[in-house]
Amino acid sequence: MKSVLIDVLLSAAVLITVISVLGMLRVRDPYQRMHYIAPPASLSSLLIAIAVFVQQGLKPESFKALFTAFVLVGMNSIVTHATARAFRIAETPNWDPVEGEEVPIHADDERVGDEKR
Amino acid sequence: MNVWELAAQVMIFVLVPVAWLAGRGDPRQRLVSFYMAAVVITLLMMLLTMAFNRMPMMDLALTLALMSFGGGIVFARFFARHLR
Repeated sequence: MKSVLIDVLLSAAVLITVISVLGMLRVRDPYQRMHYIAPPASLSSLLIAIAVFVQQGLKPESFKALFTAFVLVGMNSIVTHATARAFRIAETPNWDPVEGEEVPIHADDERVGDEKR
Repeated sequence: MNVWELAAQVMIFVLVPVAWLAGRGDPRQRLVSFYMAAVVITLLMMLLTMAFNRMPMMDLALTLALMSFGGGIVFARFFARHLR
């Protein structure tokens, strides 16, 4: 029973990774490609960590695997966001506001502009 | 061959298209493929640790996950500042 559960968990983890890489091969836009990092980083890592727990029990290496999975989940969200923002900055010719340009800093600032219109 | 080794072997083959993507195209696409490679190699490290029953090697996966996080942030900053 234990080995069957490990087989299922690992098969799912590997299958998710393979499908994500195939999807990455399929799309051309880097913004779209970023989405395919999420399934292996979040689902596969957690499935492998659960499989390690099933195999080893409550051992230090099991908690290390779980911590690695949490790091991957956190890393993926932060790095993907930072990278998409960096791409956007690189694509935008004038990202920095020119002198005298009004830039909304707070959410409420946009309402002031709406009232002016 | 146990199931951990089999899963690790599949992951190694998965790395081939990721490396191919990381070696061609414009820098944005390469960078995204590089992140994918970091994730896949981290998973591979976890699987190899269990496959060869060398439990201290789990630290390698953890270290790689942490280092690729720092590397990703540095690359993103570099992209925004110098590749405009």
